[in-house]
Amino acid sequence: MSAVVAIAGNTVREFVRGKLLYNLLLFAALFVAGSLLVAQLTIGNWVRIILDMGLGAMEVAGVLLAIVIGVGIVAGEVQRKTILPTLAKPVPRWKFCAGRYAGLVLLLVVNAAVILAVLGLVLRLAGYSLGRTTLQAVALLCVEFAVLASVAVLFASFSTPILAGSYAFALFFIGHLLPDLRAFAEKSQSALGGNVARGFYLLLPDLELLNLKAHASNELPVAAAYVWRAAGYGTAYAAVVLAVAILIFSRRDLN
Amino acid sequence: MPLAVRGSAIALAFAVAVFAAAVLRTSAQSRGPVAIETVLDIPPIPGDVARALTFGFRSLLADFTLLQAIQVLPARHGDMPPELAAPIDRRLFRLLEYSVEIDPKFSGAYRFAAAALPHETGDGKVYGVLDAIQILEKGLRERPDEWQMGFLLGFLQSYYLHDFPAAARSFGAAADLPHAPAFVGLLATRLAAQAGDLQIATSLAEAMLAHANEEATRKEWQDRVDALHMERDLRGIEEAAQRYREEKGVLPRSVHALVAAGFLPAAPREPHGGRYVLEGDGSARSTATERLRAYGLETRFEIH
Repeated sequence: MSAVVAIAGNTVREFVRGKLLYNLLLFAALFVAGSLLVAQLTIGNWVRIILDMGLGAMEVAGVLLAIVIGVGIVAGEVQRKTILPTLAKPVPRWKFCAGRYAGLVLLLVVNAAVILAVLGLVLRLAGYSLGRTTLQAVALLCVEFAVLASVAVLFASFSTPILAGSYAFALFFIGHLLPDLRAFAEKSQSALGGNVARGFYLLLPDLELLNLKAHASNELPVAAAYVWRAAGYGTAYAAVVLAVAILIFSRRDLN
Repeated sequence: MPLAVRGSAIALAFAVAVFAAAVLRTSAQSRGPVAIETVLDIPPIPGDVARALTFGFRSLLADFTLLQAIQVLPARHGDMPPELAAPIDRRLFRLLEYSVEIDPKFSGAYRFAAAALPHETGDGKVYGVLDAIQILEKGLRERPDEWQMGFLLGFLQSYYLHDFPAAARSFGAAADLPHAPAFVGLLATRLAAQAGDLQIATSLAEAMLAHANEEATRKEWQDRVDALHMERDLRGIEEAAQRYREEKGVLPRSVHALVAAGFLPAAPREPHGGRYVLEGDGSARSTATERLRAYGLETRFEIH
């Protein structure tokens, strides 16, 4: 376990030293701060504009980090052969994967927390405060990032960085279309078509279950029981995907 | 090449580039082709399909279309002929309809539609009411928790359509909601009892003005309140003029004559910045704007 914690800590340190995190954080912070100007230009009910732009910026920055770094922490290391000195030590591959993944998720949570702090500040300047639904939406966004990071690690465990990144981005878009796939499965006249659609729905991550941004901006209450269940679904899905990624990566020939 | 010469050459080249960029930019601007006015066109795909294609950013797109609608509204002037206002009305309706199709819970878009779509002309014609009612009925289904939806619908039904029983029902339903202010229930009762009363319409419009938090929406409600205050003043002047004639046998020559004779406590302030004038036949008018002619039990708006 100490090896996993040590690798996670190294992963956080490595990316805290890098420029990508700060660039994305700066982009998100400017975007959130800019929402105050956009709100002033347009309608008096500013809270919605600020929340929409703030949560949107948080999702864009988080998804980019989850996929770009998620691919890099495995496929990038394999491609550059920098993984070999680590694996030459008595560190099992599963610990390497789990540690890198844990470090990435921690980084994503910190990133979301920083953007949330900026969002809270901007809301306060406009005379509003962070509502309960907004905090629930941010919590589920963090779960979405964890799911996408696990997907990125999975694709990176058997593919090149560019392909792995492309697959992960495709899955992000597909994940937000899944409610329509479910509706198609329910309405399909063909039993085969319905079953295939249902199979894909169960296999792919339903990211719309983790999307409460519209509820937050419309200030609609969301039951805590839903948030726990959705977060549990996302966490379990990420764990399964990470387990598959570790299984594939453990059997991969790195030479 | 000596270092100083090389440095001077680089500085000179930099200065020439800056100067050339400034001059060429001005020159290009003066010789540019005629600018093409770009307007946002609603994509030819249904709102529910567009909602799926926003990949989780649907409320942001709904904000964008509402903001476009807010930008479109000032293009429609009060004295614009209907044939010129019609394309603006269509675009406004489509943008607002799209906004609530993408995010059906967007209460701000419903409230803005109720304020911005209906507009009347001086000759008693009104446009956009049915579109506003269509959007508000969707708002009632999607946001049954918001008392403003039923209240706005009731206002449109009473003010423009003169369907007072339906308006009283809408107000009554709004009054039953947990956060509805107490006056909504009172207005529902008064509306049912005194349908067509100008004072009721003024109370409704003033209530909407007090609860409108969007700037553009406030302006629309303020215009309606001003028009109703003007109508109240004009009716007051005309009634005073009739009393004057009954007592003195002749019509008064001006509003000030009514005040001087004690038939009016003071000359009312014209809310648009003009003044009130008493005509030779005893009718009153404002120097600032056309009179609202279609309010009351006898006269009705012509709905378009």
